[in-house]
Amino acid sequence: MGIRATAVVCLALVAPALIVTGCASAEDTSVAGTAERFLSAAGEGRGGEACLLLAPRAARSLDDCEKQIVSAGLRAGAVRGVDVWGDEARVRVDGDTLFLHRFPDGWRVRAAGCESRPDQSHTGQPYECEVET
Amino acid sequence: MKRLVRENALALCFLLLFLVTLAGQSVAGAAAFNEEQVAEGGSPVTWAHYVTSSSFAVDVAENWQSEYLQFFLYILITAWLIQRGSPESKKRGEEGLESDAEQKVGPHAGPGSPAWAAAPGWRRTVFSHSLGIVMGLLFLLSWLAQSVAGLAAYNNEQLAQLEDPVDWVGYVTSPDFWNRTLQNWQSEFLAVASMVLLAIFLRERGSPQSKKVGDPHSETASTG
Repeated sequence: MGIRATAVVCLALVAPALIVTGCASAEDTSVAGTAERFLSAAGEGRGGEACLLLAPRAARSLDDCEKQIVSAGLRAGAVRGVDVWGDEARVRVDGDTLFLHRFPDGWRVRAAGCESRPDQSHTGQPYECEVET
Repeated sequence: MKRLVRENALALCFLLLFLVTLAGQSVAGAAAFNEEQVAEGGSPVTWAHYVTSSSFAVDVAENWQSEYLQFFLYILITAWLIQRGSPESKKRGEEGLESDAEQKVGPHAGPGSPAWAAAPGWRRTVFSHSLGIVMGLLFLLSWLAQSVAGLAAYNNEQLAQLEDPVDWVGYVTSPDFWNRTLQNWQSEFLAVASMVLLAIFLRERGSPQSKKVGDPHSETASTG
């Protein structure tokens, strides 16, 4: 195999990995950005803005979204980890965990103020959340 | 062209059936996926989005791996084990790899034999097992694809249910992975066992998968 052929094969093998990695990190940034904007808005009393970033069903689950979301005790914090799998994501920040879903117009928060249950060990015990769908 | 189609009708027929049913699966799968999405408070996705999703990929791959495993094992095991009366089986005494003369390899290769059947050393060995090797590789690749796509689909579901995602090792040791795998394997093995046994007593006139209609039930390795 010549050098050119080898280069083509290498590129064919590496390019998809680069694309996937690139897409994954761009996605992570987008998810983390939504989570941070949501927590900042909720923590700083901008209920209307926070409610716009909630998934529709999560917003409907609150009787008065704009008031309740600011009194839920949510605070912005440093992002500690982002996991994106398909159209679902989990963002861990200091003192909070959020779950997001990708809608046609972007990521929206479907659950916030989440804490893992003490006995959770991948055995079907979901997080307990202050706000959820 | 007409001759080409006629001489390859069997492969073309099954390839066409494959494409039509895969398309059907994608449409039905997208509808089922969207029902689930909406029920969980999400938004429905387009057909194009669904067919590039891990959910579709795992559903396809889990069936592919089991089919390739079925043929891989069938090719290998029928070389060594017989079933009296079955057209799918060799005759008693023929178990094993058979002699070079029977297999027309090495010095016994004919003028029309493939080059690697006559070649010495590793090429003859590889070619002698090439069908099993390729089927085995296709099985392993499909199974690996199932595990990777399954991990993504499983974690998507985990997050949708507000649960932690798992890593690849966690997934391939999970009930979900083995449930998907074994439910396909059991059906393939049942189908093969049914074919081996039913073909002893039942016939399909004209099919090479069947004995001739008038062949005795006890006759092994005959085709109609």
